[in-house]
Amino acid sequence: MSRFYLYGITRPRELPQRLESQGISLVAADDRAAVVSGLDEGPVEATRKNLLAHADVVEQLHEDAVVLPARFGYILESREEVLELLALPEIGQLLERHATTCELTLKGKYEESVLAEVGAALQPLRDAYRAGPSVEAGIVLGEAVGQGLAERRTRDESLVLDALGPLAFDVVVAEPAGELAAFDLAFLVERSGVRPVEAKVEELAGRLSPPLHFKLVGPLPPYSFVRLALPATV
Amino acid sequence: MNRESSAGYITRAPRSSGLADVLEILLDRGLVIDAYVRVSLVGIELLTIDLRVVIASVDTYLRFAEAVNRLDLTQTGDAEGLPDLFSSGTEDVAESKSKGAVEGGMDAIKEKIGLGGRGGDDDDDEDEGRSRSRSRGRGSNDR
Repeated sequence: MSRFYLYGITRPRELPQRLESQGISLVAADDRAAVVSGLDEGPVEATRKNLLAHADVVEQLHEDAVVLPARFGYILESREEVLELLALPEIGQLLERHATTCELTLKGKYEESVLAEVGAALQPLRDAYRAGPSVEAGIVLGEAVGQGLAERRTRDESLVLDALGPLAFDVVVAEPAGELAAFDLAFLVERSGVRPVEAKVEELAGRLSPPLHFKLVGPLPPYSFVRLALPATV
Repeated sequence: MNRESSAGYITRAPRSSGLADVLEILLDRGLVIDAYVRVSLVGIELLTIDLRVVIASVDTYLRFAEAVNRLDLTQTGDAEGLPDLFSSGTEDVAESKSKGAVEGGMDAIKEKIGLGGRGGDDDDDEDEGRSRSRSRGRGSNDR
């Protein structure tokens, strides 16, 4: 097997039997090891099944020790390439940095009642729309609602960041996706720091729900905190 | 695996497995040296287009307007819903404005990946996407 699919990088260790039986193996060098499986020619398909398999491997291994999860689809063409990657000083630094960390993702989404709250401040536009429900009036009202929702999002995102930021080493703030999405955040915390975040989210829910729904996932491998800003090696 | 708490307003899951919107994280986060040289994928280019589909559209605005009006009517107990009176008009506009070829192709891709129902996502554009890293607390930075 000459080509490798990369799941992530960890410390040399025993793999669980379950993963070994799926063809997962380690390529180790010194105090670092790449989690790989052999791969045939051709690209990797980003199917749900493949994504799930990738997540399963890195999340399983992360339960016991540090894993730097690779982005889905990372292929190394030879054993030499694997060793080159492992030898990068940045890999050593990331393994150190994430020795006892984990990622928590937190997404916020509004239920529809937020529109009534936002709309409460738009009485004249609502009256106009009801009096003459044209497409034009609908767009004017809808744009105003969209604007009000955007302000609400910004406010709530700030509230959440102010509350949880001090509990985290680092935060990645992404643009939330979807009409009623509120925020999309990833926090890097100590493995022992999950409970305080959970407690704080409960507290936030007490203040912001309804209409806000929270979705807290983790402890995950540090997906959002392992990017290397390096040029491609040859 | 999920459990509801806080009167149903917090969904808690220990792992991403099976959660479509969390699996997306694998597509734009994670260790990578150079996405274009090293990553060999089917479907990602098209996904990237999808991520840029503008969320705010005439269709969205009309649905917002309809919802605000309906929710208001519910509150005041006025049973006659205006939206029904001209919903055919809004559908025409929505169709013409929001269903491009790109979006149709996207749906197919997302369906394949099992990410249906997502309205687009943050793009990463390598280091210059809309994601932004903020150092907090003890503040270390990985960029």
